[in-house]
Amino acid sequence: MTAIVSVRELQKHYGDIHAVRGISFEVLQGEIFGLLGPNGAGKTTTVEILEGLRKADGGVAIVDGIDVSKEPAKAKERVGVQLQQSAFPENFTAKETVELFALCYGVTVDAMALLKEVDLADKAGQRQEKLSGGQRQRLSIATALVNKPRVLFLDEPTTGLDPQARRNLWELVRGIRQSGTTVFLTTHYMDEAEVLCDRVAVMDHGEIIAMDPPRTLITALLGRGFTKPMIQQQATLEDVFLDLTGHELRED
Amino acid sequence: MGQALRLTLMYLRAYLRDRTAVFFSLVVPLMLLLIFGSLNLGAFGQVSLAIDDQANTTASQSFVAALEKIDTLAVKHLSADAALAELKRTELDMLLVIPKDFAIAPTRAGQPVPTLTMYGNDARPQQVSVGGSIVNEVITRLSFAVNQTAPVVNLKQEDVQGVRLRYVDFLVPGILGVNVMQLAIFSVAFALVVDKRRGVLRRIMATPLKPITFLVAQVVTRLIMATLQVLIMLAVAVFLFDVHPLGGILPLLLVSLFGAVLFLTIGFALAGWAETENQVPAIAQLITLPQFFFSGVFFSKEAAPAFIRPVTNLLPLTFLNDALREISVQGATLWDVRGQLLGLLVWTAIGLLLAVRFFRFDRF
Repeated sequence: MTAIVSVRELQKHYGDIHAVRGISFEVLQGEIFGLLGPNGAGKTTTVEILEGLRKADGGVAIVDGIDVSKEPAKAKERVGVQLQQSAFPENFTAKETVELFALCYGVTVDAMALLKEVDLADKAGQRQEKLSGGQRQRLSIATALVNKPRVLFLDEPTTGLDPQARRNLWELVRGIRQSGTTVFLTTHYMDEAEVLCDRVAVMDHGEIIAMDPPRTLITALLGRGFTKPMIQQQATLEDVFLDLTGHELRED
Repeated sequence: MGQALRLTLMYLRAYLRDRTAVFFSLVVPLMLLLIFGSLNLGAFGQVSLAIDDQANTTASQSFVAALEKIDTLAVKHLSADAALAELKRTELDMLLVIPKDFAIAPTRAGQPVPTLTMYGNDARPQQVSVGGSIVNEVITRLSFAVNQTAPVVNLKQEDVQGVRLRYVDFLVPGILGVNVMQLAIFSVAFALVVDKRRGVLRRIMATPLKPITFLVAQVVTRLIMATLQVLIMLAVAVFLFDVHPLGGILPLLLVSLFGAVLFLTIGFALAGWAETENQVPAIAQLITLPQFFFSGVFFSKEAAPAFIRPVTNLLPLTFLNDALREISVQGATLWDVRGQLLGLLVWTAIGLLLAVRFFRFDRF
């Protein structure tokens, strides 16, 4: 497996705050890679440097063979982006929003096919601001796919979604990986990382403190003698919730 | 180029769907024009009367004093020649010439009756007729006081042709200017601050789209709206209020769009500076309100107190309104208003500097 994202000694300061402290890691082609960490750990800064939205103070970030700090415009053409707390221009329908972003990349797309891929075909004519949270996240992913990206960056894609919408999004992400796109996501939901990611990096205070497949990290922790009081329970409250309300996606 | 054009069309479609934006860009300006156009403000106020007292006797002086006591009349003393020139420029409503033989005394047989000559500006018929009746009334009263008889002087009236400037003729260029200013500043500042705060601009900047292409689309969208606005208002002015812009429609449109570009730069600077959309109205009003009142929109810019006039004469909207008004009312050409255009150019340069300073794509 070759590395499609390669980060070496990446540095970023905001005034006195040393947000990213010389981190290095690689993302392999075709995997779902998770960058985990509490709020303020430096996840978003790292992702935004990789997306070409921020300039690093030091180190190198290579995406699909392109040095992002040297050729940000070229790098932007190769990646798909879903930003944390981003929105779309108002008074555009879902279909027009997809077309708008295709135009921004200078490509033509079959907007309806993309909307179908994210299960929004029936919302094509609806104003994007009227969509529910989950629908808007899926629209956001559709706009991130217009340029057939090599790497898809998802910054906290399931924050604020209900359990049904979260599971639906996971399926969508798996499908995207299946079609050959590498997925780089940040999250602070550990269950999400555990079920979705092939490998995760744990970031805190601007440094990567662990990096491995989730299973390996868990086994290593248990190997260090970690135990927690076990209550033999075959289901969680979330299972109850989903059993009661079903897996069907809801309209807000 | 094709990308910018298609982006413009997309944004224009979205703009036209936004009912609030359309209301403020097209309906409000039209309401302003309809309301103020039909109010016919300034059609009547005081009657300005110049008096040339060629007699300068006790009798004539008491006659003038009586006229000066009447509130409706704004009396000043001028020679007949100077006053006639003012009349022709519609800076004066009436001129009253008191002849050398003026006297208020009983007529004697064989002696000619003194004849007062009154010149009225026929562009201001209401003022002339009111002023004429007042002068007549004063003569009658004085005559009765002296002789207990009917008037002993004649009043001869003559018309002078002045520029036919109705209030609506004065108003239309000012309305064009102020609405172009409002559209350019508010539509950009509000929309882009919202887009900035909600992360829309950041999302767009994550694509390879060049910032200049985005800016061109935003600017051209507003210029198309401004063109629509100007043409709709001119249509209403011409067909409903019978206004005839002497310098032609095209120069008015071009100058309006020049003004729009100037105010767009200020809109962008404001959108870049403001953190939230709540800050926009305060600052935008701070910028637009003084110009609303002091730049000659609804009434002459000369209405501003004299001590601030050196400043108000340099406001961007003053340059815009002066240029539009000279083209519309006096038939000036673009070359004739080059001074005002230069003023607009200087302001555009200032606005551009501010916009570049505050509207920074790398900060979104």
